[in-house]
Amino acid sequence: MKRLPFSLAIFYCLGIILVSSIKISFWFVLGSGVITFAAACLSFRNNRIFMVLVFLLAFILGGLNLKNSYIRHNCHINNFVRYKDNTIYNLSGFIDSDPEIRGKHTFFVFRTQGVQVDKLMWRCCGKVLVRMDFPQDLNYADNLILRGILLRPYGFSPGSRSYRDYLSRQGIYLVMPIKNSLQIIPQLNKGGSRLIIFSLWLRSRMEQVIKRYLADLPAGILSAMVLGQRRAIPWLVNNYMVKSGTVHILVVSGFNVGIVAFIVNLLLKIMRVRRKLRIILTIICLLIYCLITGASNPVIRATVMGVVFLLAHLLKRDADIYNCLACAALFILGLNPRQLFDVGFQLSFSSVLAIIYLYPKIKSFLCLDNCKAKALKFIYEGCLVSLCAWFGTMWIIAYNFRIVAPVTVLANILVVPLATLITLCGFSLVLCGSFSTFLGGVFSTTTAMLITLLLNINSAVIKIPFAYFYF
Amino acid sequence: MINFTPEEKRVILFLLIIAFCGITLNNLAKLNYRVKKLFCPQVYLARIDLNKISLEELIKIRCLPVKTSQRIIAYRLQHGNFSSLEALKEIRGIGDQRYEKLKDIFFVE
Repeated sequence: MKRLPFSLAIFYCLGIILVSSIKISFWFVLGSGVITFAAACLSFRNNRIFMVLVFLLAFILGGLNLKNSYIRHNCHINNFVRYKDNTIYNLSGFIDSDPEIRGKHTFFVFRTQGVQVDKLMWRCCGKVLVRMDFPQDLNYADNLILRGILLRPYGFSPGSRSYRDYLSRQGIYLVMPIKNSLQIIPQLNKGGSRLIIFSLWLRSRMEQVIKRYLADLPAGILSAMVLGQRRAIPWLVNNYMVKSGTVHILVVSGFNVGIVAFIVNLLLKIMRVRRKLRIILTIICLLIYCLITGASNPVIRATVMGVVFLLAHLLKRDADIYNCLACAALFILGLNPRQLFDVGFQLSFSSVLAIIYLYPKIKSFLCLDNCKAKALKFIYEGCLVSLCAWFGTMWIIAYNFRIVAPVTVLANILVVPLATLITLCGFSLVLCGSFSTFLGGVFSTTTAMLITLLLNINSAVIKIPFAYFYF
Repeated sequence: MINFTPEEKRVILFLLIIAFCGITLNNLAKLNYRVKKLFCPQVYLARIDLNKISLEELIKIRCLPVKTSQRIIAYRLQHGNFSSLEALKEIRGIGDQRYEKLKDIFFVE
């Protein structure tokens, strides 16, 4: 079977969906898994039965992993807090995310290691979302003792799309509001991963380069497109892009990962590094880039796909795109099966799947390969890719955001080539601007011009009658 | 000599074209101030003009309740155009917290 990982990934996802929709005991799922495994071992020689049992095992494994993700560790911080609890807790641990400033508030994820109530102290684990009402210079991996009450996050909307559910998918069940700087006691030592500290340092350097050469608005957009930092994007720009269906260009995706791989490979080639070492170094750079951009679902998907492609290249094997996609899905869902219900995950995978499945089929149906004019072929292909991606994601967007934007196809035909150029210019700016002020200035002008053009096109496109409608 | 693939040659050409465009634009901007508009995004692309926005558009803004939107329009009718964003604070329902959000959305010409 050529696409075994892809089939396994589908059965794994089906298992997650089924177990999430019915009430079933963890031990029952585990028991059925053990029986299936034993049956698979016994039918080792009968290929057909063996394959059926392997698929069934993948199905059960998906459900089992989901059930397991709901079970929290005995010493999880959530187990110490009662409903409507006003006790003051002293939490020790370290900052597990890059602190994010939103208006007057600063948010970060705090990984707990110990909890103290009155004079009793316990070891604990788990994450807490901290909301500070004042500015303070804090960084990833800073060891702190936090003093305050612990609250359950407010849901805001009912159902699986609530804020509480969104946080629980990330393993966060509690929020600690910090109103006073006296509630924070910094510690000397550092926690966290050194690789992440290095990646965040690299990201801040890259952001500095972008900010040095560009005005606030183009710098914010370029930071989102190249580094995945969306905090400086104005509300109106984001709103226009949602309406025109082009907001995906503000997210780091497979294209960016491809560019990083290409640039690293090219530079190493110029330095005459051997092929095998070049591939290994490219893989390492892709992993660092994944950490720089915040390791969101689309980036992890693209990075895993890229790594599988490069490994296949290293081992001189053919890489099947469906299998690469399946590996990425299994990697993300293996770590956290609840990501299957995340809209970002669904959009990322459905768009890629729609492109790789529909694009060749429509292309051969319309006999586009016969078209000899290169420019015309380029436009046709661009239209087709946009159409396929739109078709793949339209249903999810309509269900979750109650918006249908027929202008998406047209907007993407105009915006995506421009976004491609901006991303390429952005990487050139970051690389050249770090070394030469002259080159930085030269590249920044072109980048700013392209971003201005993109914003103008985007605001013009949504003014077309029936461009979008909410329902 | 290093043998470049066609893709790598395209990259080199691309970098040269960007540099060429950048230098040309920089020079043109020095000669004619209007050229600067080409690479400096206008403020209306990122923010809404508070003196031109209609009630229907105001209601669609997430952090503004309907009543506050109506009060903004009423204020504009009563006092004329807003002279600065600070004037928003005079409207009932807009405190410091909401003002902080609104000042990133609107501009006053």
